[in-house]
Amino acid sequence: MRAMVFSEKGELAAQIATILRERYEIDIYTTSDSPLDSYGAKVVFRITGESLYVDNISNFLADRFKEKGYDFIAIGSSVMGREIASILSELLHLEAITEIMKLEEGNQVFITERFFFGGKTVIREESKARIFTFLPGLVDPIPVDSRSSKEEIKIDSPSTVNVVEKIEKPKGSVNLEKADIIVSAGRGIGKKEGLGIIQQLADIIHGEVGGSRPVCLDYHWLSEERQVGLSGKRVKPKIYIAVGISGQVQHIAGMRGSKTVIAINKDKNAPIFNECDYGIVGDLYTVIPKLIENLKK
Amino acid sequence: MYNIVVCFKQILDIDQMKIDEKTQEPITKNLPYRLEDLSKNAIEEAVRIKEKYGGKVIGITFGGDQATLGMKEALAMGVDEGIIIKGYKENNPELTSEVLAKKISTLKYDIIITGNASADSYTGLVPGKLARKLNIPILGNAIKLELHENTARITRSMEDVNYVVESRLPVLITVEQEINEPRLPPLIQIMAAGRKPMKIEEMQIQIQSSKKVISNKAPKSDRKRIIFEDIDKGVEEVSKFLRSEVK
Repeated sequence: MRAMVFSEKGELAAQIATILRERYEIDIYTTSDSPLDSYGAKVVFRITGESLYVDNISNFLADRFKEKGYDFIAIGSSVMGREIASILSELLHLEAITEIMKLEEGNQVFITERFFFGGKTVIREESKARIFTFLPGLVDPIPVDSRSSKEEIKIDSPSTVNVVEKIEKPKGSVNLEKADIIVSAGRGIGKKEGLGIIQQLADIIHGEVGGSRPVCLDYHWLSEERQVGLSGKRVKPKIYIAVGISGQVQHIAGMRGSKTVIAINKDKNAPIFNECDYGIVGDLYTVIPKLIENLKK
Repeated sequence: MYNIVVCFKQILDIDQMKIDEKTQEPITKNLPYRLEDLSKNAIEEAVRIKEKYGGKVIGITFGGDQATLGMKEALAMGVDEGIIIKGYKENNPELTSEVLAKKISTLKYDIIITGNASADSYTGLVPGKLARKLNIPILGNAIKLELHENTARITRSMEDVNYVVESRLPVLITVEQEINEPRLPPLIQIMAAGRKPMKIEEMQIQIQSSKKVISNKAPKSDRKRIIFEDIDKGVEEVSKFLRSEVK
């Protein structure tokens, strides 16, 4: 079988290529500038154009899919990737399954796994779907010795949507997905100043500070790039310390890959205690200073 | 004056959902429904457009028996008219998008608003499929929305960067949580919502998904769950662990 891989993010295209290349012949399509010729694809097609948007990219990919007779499409799961998957599903009359973390082949069907019920469960399904979006971070991209051939393709057809302006998000320097140790703050810290001791703890153990959805998106105590959760960053550090985080499913789904989870919460019934290796029931403003003091010894 | 259609959904209250310890399957029996998170943002944004620029908001939901409650909440938030299409059984974006497209194509609309993806299934497929079926542009993942006569302009939030994008109407816009803070309607509005027009319709569309569920279980958690209620003991043990792991 032959797969068409698309992602506007080079890293994600390389991850998907790494997952699929053993089993399938793949071509990569991307709008990214990253060099992707060492990830086992037969051809890397770089898409360029004046006005690239999900509509004209989807039209192009749909035509390509038919022309080249690919068997299925693997797309990087992102805002853009999911939109393209949904449009392709209409253009090609093929079912799509998004946000998958596993793809296996059954008898005339594909078997997929993805989170369901906001991350509370994992649903395993078989289907005739031929369009998939893959979650980011399933594997680290691994280069191969051989090189793909490269081609550039220009999309000339204009989009119906006009891109007026690009606004860089305020960038910290943090890359939580790559962090080894994360100390995350939840609503339980109660006030922005509470982040002070969270940062202190993180500094002592050389970790990064993360936060739950309310802390990052509702109260803006931390920047969006530090939000851990299904709709934020999905992290897999060696040590994840959840402070004042109750453990809503959407948060758990973002940190489930952590090796060891430590939870500090004053509510002993908080769901986070079901998802941790070590838990301390107590007020974080008592526990954290004691922890810092102890670690300083 | 704009004709606005907002599509929304009710979901099982996943935050209250428990897992059966024997089967590891979710317990859905007696679990209440609630308006889906981003659906509320979509409703709020639709109502704000009406309040700012004038117009009318029609709310549509493809739902099951419990849909009336969600629709009443939407009407209380400021939606003018409700249409409930019966027959929702399970997550099936093929069917949902077809049902919504069929209904919406009979209405006058300038703007369709939906959430970007729903909190329960999180497929995010319906908006794009719906826009395609109606042959209108999609402006996705808006955290800001403005209208200028016949044009919609949004700030589109992507993972690493934002874009300002615009398109002529009619258009489908999906919203992200950051776009607004959904209002909590006061009781009096909830009571008054009962007097707003609400239609319940059936639609004969059969679209089978090829999807078959093999299993739907809580992921195996092999966490140690060593919980300390004695703070000093806990601090001691956790420090010991951290010291052994962190150089």
